[in-house]
Formats: sequence, C-alpha cells, structure tokens
Amino acid sequence: MFAATTLAVLVVMGLTLARALLGPSVYDRILAVNSFGTTTVLLIAVLGFLDGRPEFMDIALLYALINFIGTLAVLKFFRYGALGHAQDPDRDREPE
Amino acid sequence: MDTVVDLISWIALVAGGFFYFVGAVGLVRMPDVFTRMHAVSVSETLGTGLLILGMALQAGLTLVTVKLIIIFLVLMVVSPVSSHALARAALHDGKLPLLANAKGWLVETDCVDIFPELGPRLRQPLSSEQVEQVEEGRSGAETARVSGPGYDYALEGAAPVRSEDDTGGGTR
Repeated sequence: MFAATTLAVLVVMGLTLARALLGPSVYDRILAVNSFGTTTVLLIAVLGFLDGRPEFMDIALLYALINFIGTLAVLKFFRYGALGHAQDPDRDREPE
Repeated sequence: MDTVVDLISWIALVAGGFFYFVGAVGLVRMPDVFTRMHAVSVSETLGTGLLILGMALQAGLTLVTVKLIIIFLVLMVVSPVSSHALARAALHDGKLPLLANAKGWLVETDCVDIFPELGPRLRQPLSSEQVEQVEEGRSGAETARVSGPGYDYALEGAAPVRSEDDTGGGTR
C-alpha cells in the first residue's frame, strides 16, 4: 500500500523537477521548488509509515515550515537583492 | 472493521496519489505561471488531504495521527500564503496573466490566439452538426450555416460540403 504511494509521490517529484528545469521564468522555478518541498514532506511521512518509524512525522512537520520560510526568503531576495533590513525602493516615490 | 478501515485508507491513498499526479501534470503542461500555480493548488490541497487521511486511518488513534493532522493544518495555512506571495511578486515583476491586460481587465480572447495550431481544427464542423448552405463570402471564403441540437451559427473558412444523404451524426 505505502509502496504504491511512494512510487506515485516519486513520479510527481520527477515531473516537478522537469518544470523546475524547463521553466522559462524564475517564478516557474520558485513555484516548482516550493511544490517539490511539499512533495518531500509527504514523501518523508509515507517513508515513515513504510519503515515503521513514527519519528519521521516530526521531520516532515519541520520541513513543511522550513520550505515555507525558504520560499519567502528566495522571493524577498529576488525583489530587494538582500535579505537584511531591505527597504521598499518604491516607498518614498512621489505618486504620479 | 479492520478491513473496512483498510479499504477506506486504500481508496484515500490511491485517490490522493491520483490528484497529486494530476496537479503535477498540470504543472508541466499549463501555458502560464499563474495557470501553473492554479494547477499546483489542486495537488497541494486535495492530494495532500487525501494522502494524510489515508495515512491517519492506518495509524489509528495514536500520537502519529495528531502529528499528521498538525502537518495538514500547517500546509493548509502555509500554501495559500506562499501562493499569494509568489503571484504578487510575479505581477510586480510585470508578468501578466494570459487572459488579462495591464489594468487587470479580462481580455476577450479566442482560444485560437493562444493556441494557433487549433485554428484549422476549429474551422471544421463537428460530426454531429449539419451543414445547410454553403455560400461564397466576401473575401472568397465559403460561409456555411452549421446547425446542431439547439443552436446554429455561421462557420467561415474551409467547411466541407456534405451530400444530401448525409444526415449528420455518422461515425468518422
């Protein structure tokens, strides 16, 4: 049962990687990597069931949070060029 | 009782895997960033939910089920936030959706504009439609009156002429 699920999740990971390699814009790639991270969360959970190790649920929960923070960090980096106290360059612009 | 739970979790796992696969196929085949985001949202909500339901039914009432439910809740909160951030960043960068112009209004598009290879196929009438009259149009292209159950319209372009005996609806 869980072997079939693992196979399906691995196929999904392959397709997502194809989009991450193909995607003509950077946003396609960010979307594909975010989806890959969510798929990884499910793969870790399913592998935990397959091996009979309930500790993998903690790893899956942690990676769900890390994936989210990583996506937001990459987006912030692409917008501002830095991950520190970045200011919005359009903030003090005069309204047209 | 045990077999019923096993059966339901089998169905949930298979359905969850299927919806996950559908979302991934949509991610590969969709034409635009925003449509791809929409396809991924299917797999992230329905696929994840069904897979976690299947796994929780297998685990029973233990701590593992509680952790699985927490994973599901975290993913439900986190996926829309990251989708919104990604869509907002893509719009800010100047990527327009396929069917919207710069003001955000819906542009009237024929699907032939997006997929031009469909043009010759769309100009043919369906096998269930009847072609009634073929007349010469202004630019020399033939214009046919095509009618089906409950509708009729004028079809311009390469419309095949049918014989008198053909009543339409035949197999092709």
